[in-house]
Amino acid sequence: MIAAMRGFAVLATCLVLALGQAKAEDFVLGSHLPLTGSLAQVGNGMHEGIQVAVDLFNRENQGHQVKLNTIDDESSPAKAVAAVERLASERVVALSGGYGSNIIGPASEAAAKAKLVYITSGGVGPELSQRGLEYFFRINNTEGYSKAVTGLIDDMGVKKVSIVYNNKEATTDLARTVEKTLSDAGIKVSSLAFDGGHADFKPLINKVKLQDHPDLILMSGYENDYIGILRAGNVLKPDIKAIVGVWSLATSEMNNKFNDLVQYVYGTSMLPYPAEFATPEAKLFAETYEKLYGKAPDYLGQFGYVQTRLLLQAVLRAENDGTLGKGGLADELRKTDEETLIGRVKFDKNGDNPEFAQRMGQHQGNKVVLVWPAKAATGKMVFPATPWSK
Amino acid sequence: MQQRTIITIGFVVLFYGAVPAAFGSTDYVISSIVAALTIAGTAVAWALLGNLGGMVSFGHAAFFGVGAYVSALLTMNAGWPVFAAIIAGGAGASIASVAIMPALRLRGPYFALAVLAYAGIFRILATEMEGITRGAAGLLSIPRLPTILGFDLGTNIGSYYVILTIVLAAMAAYAWIRRSEIGFALLAMHETEDATRILGVPSTRLKAMMLVLSAFITGIVGAFNAHHISFLDPDYAFSGVWTVLPIVAAIFGGFRTVSGPFIGALAIYLLDQFVFKSLLPTGHQIILGAALGTMILLSPDGLVPLLGRGLGKKRHAAT
Repeated sequence: MIAAMRGFAVLATCLVLALGQAKAEDFVLGSHLPLTGSLAQVGNGMHEGIQVAVDLFNRENQGHQVKLNTIDDESSPAKAVAAVERLASERVVALSGGYGSNIIGPASEAAAKAKLVYITSGGVGPELSQRGLEYFFRINNTEGYSKAVTGLIDDMGVKKVSIVYNNKEATTDLARTVEKTLSDAGIKVSSLAFDGGHADFKPLINKVKLQDHPDLILMSGYENDYIGILRAGNVLKPDIKAIVGVWSLATSEMNNKFNDLVQYVYGTSMLPYPAEFATPEAKLFAETYEKLYGKAPDYLGQFGYVQTRLLLQAVLRAENDGTLGKGGLADELRKTDEETLIGRVKFDKNGDNPEFAQRMGQHQGNKVVLVWPAKAATGKMVFPATPWSK
Repeated sequence: MQQRTIITIGFVVLFYGAVPAAFGSTDYVISSIVAALTIAGTAVAWALLGNLGGMVSFGHAAFFGVGAYVSALLTMNAGWPVFAAIIAGGAGASIASVAIMPALRLRGPYFALAVLAYAGIFRILATEMEGITRGAAGLLSIPRLPTILGFDLGTNIGSYYVILTIVLAAMAAYAWIRRSEIGFALLAMHETEDATRILGVPSTRLKAMMLVLSAFITGIVGAFNAHHISFLDPDYAFSGVWTVLPIVAAIFGGFRTVSGPFIGALAIYLLDQFVFKSLLPTGHQIILGAALGTMILLSPDGLVPLLGRGLGKKRHAAT
C-alpha cells in the first residue's frame, strides 16, 4: 500500500506539471481527430483540410487570428470525450473534427454539455443528427451518398443489383437506404453483409455470381473491403455490367496504388483526378493544400476544409455582432446558406445539411472522371465495363 | 492502530478527498482518471482470475461488453434504474462466463485461446442480434448515472466516486479471498493442481468460482462505462482494448499484488495521456511501450513491488 501511495504521488506530480501548459490565444479552434489508431489515415486527411481552412482564414483576416489546437483521440470514444473536455477547459471557441459515429456520438454530447459548437463530416449515420443537440452541425449525411449511388444506377438502367456491405454502422445504413430506394424504383435487389476485417471475399462473390446473377454489384465498405472484393471479382469474373462502391474508392490514392484493379469501378467523389478546380476559392484551396502538404487535396481534406471554413465565417460574424461569447455562434452557423467546394450547405433544425449530394466518379486509365450528375460531369461513363472485362 | 489500517485510511482519504479537491473542477482530468479507473477495475478482475484461478484470460472484453449491453438495454428498453441495471450487467457477465466453463479443463495457452475465441463470438452476436442490440448502429444516449440526494452522479466527479467505489470494493473482495481458506487452496493449486485434488480440493469448482467473480466485476465495470460514456456499439463494447490494456496495467503495476493492477492502470493511462502525449502528441505509445519494457527488465514483478523494495532499503538504511 505504501508503495502504491508513493507511486501515486509521483504520478500526481507529473500530472500537475503537465497541466501547466495551457495558454491563451486570439481565437483557439479545437479539434479532435484519430491521428493514430485504426482511423489514422482518414483522421489525418481531414486534419489537413482543417489546417488549410485555418491558414486561409488567418491570411484573409489580419484582424483576427485563429490557432488550431488538435488532440489525437486515438480512435477511442473515451479519449475523444476527454479531448473535448480538455479543449473546453482551454476555452476553445468551437470544435471542428471527429471521425467515426462511435466517436462523434459521445464527443458531441460532451461538447453540448460544455455548450460548444461541434461541426463534423466524419459520421453520416442518421441518428447522430436526431438527438436534438442544439450545438451539433454536420455537412454530409447518408442520404447524400445514397442519392448519388441510386442516381447513377438509375441512369445505367440496370434491372438487378446485388449489394455487398460491411456490417459496420455507416456502411449498413447506406446499404439499406440504397436497397429501399432501388426496390421502390422497381429494381430487384439482393443484399449480403460481411464482417469488418473479412479477408477472403471469394465465397461471397461466388454466391453473388451463382445465386443472384446481378447486372451490377454495389459495395458498401472501406478501402480494404473494396480491394478484397475486386480481387475476388478478378478471380471469379462474375458476368456483370458495372461494379460500384462508395467512399474512399474513387480517389487518387486508389488510382495510383491499385490502377489495374480499379479500372472502370465507380465511387463517390467530389473531385476528378487529376483535380480540376474551377472557382477562385477552389483554386486557392488547392494551392494552399499543395503548399502545406506537397500533394493534391483529396475528398477528406475538402470536407475538413469546408466544415472549418463555414465555422470560422460564423465565428467572425458572431464576433462582429458581439454575440460570440453569449452563445450566439450556433445561431449564426444555423444561418449558413452557401455554395461550397462540396456543393450547397445549409443547416436544418437538427444541424444536418439537407442539400448534401455526392457526385460519382469512375476510374478510367490514370484518371478519375466525374460521371454523375450530368451538370458536374467531366467525362462520359464507360458502361458496361468492369476491371475483368477490359 | 495497525500500519495496514493507517495506510488504508490514508488511501481512502487521498482518493475520496484529495484527488477530487485537486482536480474536481477540471473536467478532463477527472474524466481521464475515470477512464484509468475503468481499466483498473478490469485489471483487478483479470489479476484475480490469473492469481487465484491460475488462468490467463485474453477474453475479458467479452465480460466487459456483456455487462455493458445488459445494463444499457435494461435501462433503455425496460426502464430499469441505472444502478440496478449495472448490478444486472455484472450478473449477466457472470452468466455469460458459464459458457466458457468447459474450457476450465484446458490449461495455459489453450485456455487463453479458447477465451479469446469466446470474446469474438459475443461481438458477432451483438452485431447480428439487431432486434435487441441495434446491431452495428449501436446505442446512443444511454441513460447516465442518476442524481442521488441532490448529487448528480452523471457528472465526471460523480462518476469518479462511483467507479472508485466499484474498484476499491473489487480490491477488497480480492484481498479477502486471498486471505481466506479458498485463497490458500487456490494458491496451493498453482504449485501442483494434481496434489491438491488428491487432498480433496475441488479445483475445477474453485476455478469456476473465480471465473464467475472475475466476470461479475468486469461486467459491473463495463456497465458503468456504458452509462458514463453514454454510447455502445459491438466494436467498442467488445474491443480488444478492454483485454489488452488491463493486462498491460496489471503487469506494469504488479499483478501478484492487490494494489498493483490499480496503480498500474493509473500510471500507464495518466502518464501516457498527460506526460507522454505532451512530449510526443502522435506516437506517444512508443514511450509507453519503452516504459513497460524497462519495467519488466527492472522489476518483472511490477511497479508496486519495485517501490516496496525501494522503501524497504530506505528503512533498512535508517535503522
